[in-house]
Amino acid sequence: MGKLAGKIALITGGSEGIGFATAQEFISEGAFVFITGRRKEVLDAAVATLGPNASAVQSNAENLNDLDRLYAEIKTKKGKLDVLFVNAGIYSGAPLGQITEEHYDSIFGVNVKGLLFTVQKALPLMGKGGSIILNGSVVAVKGFPALSVYSATKAAVRNFARGWTADLKGTGIRVNVVSPGPIDTPGTRVLGNGTTAALDQFATQVPLGRYGQGNEIAKAALFLASDDSSFVAGFDLMVDGGIGQI
Amino acid sequence: MGKLTGKIALVTGGSEGIGFATAQEFIKEGAFVFITGRRKPTLDAAVAKLGTSALGIQADSAKLDDLDRLYAEIKQKKGKLDVLFVNAGGGEFAPLGQITEEHYDQTFAKNVKGLVFTVQKALPLLGKGGSIILNASIVATKGMPAFSVYSATKAAVRNFARGWTADLKGTGIRVNVVSPGPIDTPGLRGVTDGTDEGYKQFTDAMTASVPLGRVGQPEEIAKAVVYLASEDSSFVAGFDLVVDGGFAQI
Repeated sequence: MGKLAGKIALITGGSEGIGFATAQEFISEGAFVFITGRRKEVLDAAVATLGPNASAVQSNAENLNDLDRLYAEIKTKKGKLDVLFVNAGIYSGAPLGQITEEHYDSIFGVNVKGLLFTVQKALPLMGKGGSIILNGSVVAVKGFPALSVYSATKAAVRNFARGWTADLKGTGIRVNVVSPGPIDTPGTRVLGNGTTAALDQFATQVPLGRYGQGNEIAKAALFLASDDSSFVAGFDLMVDGGIGQI
Repeated sequence: MGKLTGKIALVTGGSEGIGFATAQEFIKEGAFVFITGRRKPTLDAAVAKLGTSALGIQADSAKLDDLDRLYAEIKQKKGKLDVLFVNAGGGEFAPLGQITEEHYDQTFAKNVKGLVFTVQKALPLLGKGGSIILNASIVATKGMPAFSVYSATKAAVRNFARGWTADLKGTGIRVNVVSPGPIDTPGLRGVTDGTDEGYKQFTDAMTASVPLGRVGQPEEIAKAVVYLASEDSSFVAGFDLVVDGGFAQI
């Protein structure tokens, strides 16, 4: 019997990387999983791989109308939501001095505003035993060159989990954060300009000496999604190979 | 197939409370578990309940000779150790102004010095894939009346996980912390006046500040320790996993 048997889950940004690995993990533990993504062909390919216990809804997390349509569809198809993994987010760098208004607006639009309404609009479908997991990042507590705006969005995300844990007291819904460190995903490979040299160099700074894999975040998300973490609330579970710890 | 199939684990202070619940969970996941405790009757009763995948060794973690004897026995019986949960420890109340030298010495000996040597003396038995979990507490980051010395020991414990993660780089051994909030254990009952009413008053006052509105159960810590002990947490290192119902988070 899986740890999520009979549960309905939503993973935003579920077509690839951490979101996709988490969808696979949730399905292997018995859940039915909705995934969202912006690009239809990538989304369709993901659902084809995930199989009959997955359903895709094309949607952009910063578009509030898309979110209304998304939750209407989940309501029609399954009538409830048990697990929400808000994973959709964007990542780009700009050093101080070169931060444009567009850079600021786009990252805060998806990572903060989009996340906020993804959670708030899900609440009517959620109840006792529900688990909300926000994808943060170790950069919320570390400084890295050119990542200040991204870091700030993730610090905001981590703090939402505190405030919402207080707001949701008595509902039986838990809110937690999972904060990945350097993970080998399509997102991080783009940063290395398609080469692995930059990634290899960075890996030496990680106490475990390597990048993490998407499924290592998926296992952490599973812990937070399931009753294994029934006394964990408002917490930030960092899966970072130790880089933000020592 | 369990998450700890074929693994050899040691849980110090494993006779009751969080340690005992963790031993049960480890065994359920396929591990063989050594437990330690200071009191023989309690230890024997625990092993009787745990069954054939458990073995009790009477030991006081604050005594270095006991630790040598403990690891000699594990080496002889199983030849290795995969998972070490350093759970033995405890604390008593003493407000500033009434902290005695004995209170300080005993609390640090049990929770800090004993923990250092429990880990260090285990290293020769641990190898790649090994997982060390230190039991700390949310009081490491929260101030509570009359608990300053205990809190300080737990802050020390949390920091050992940072330093040892750096020291153990390249060995394949991970070190993490689990920090319980208020958990319904004999230890928690022990710091109250011993009556049911006194315990209820104490926990009612505490749960008012817990977002999940209750004290936790030992099994809820055990599940977190399984996560840290197993490959599920293979990219988690030097981390403090806080299981506190949100008490110290918001």
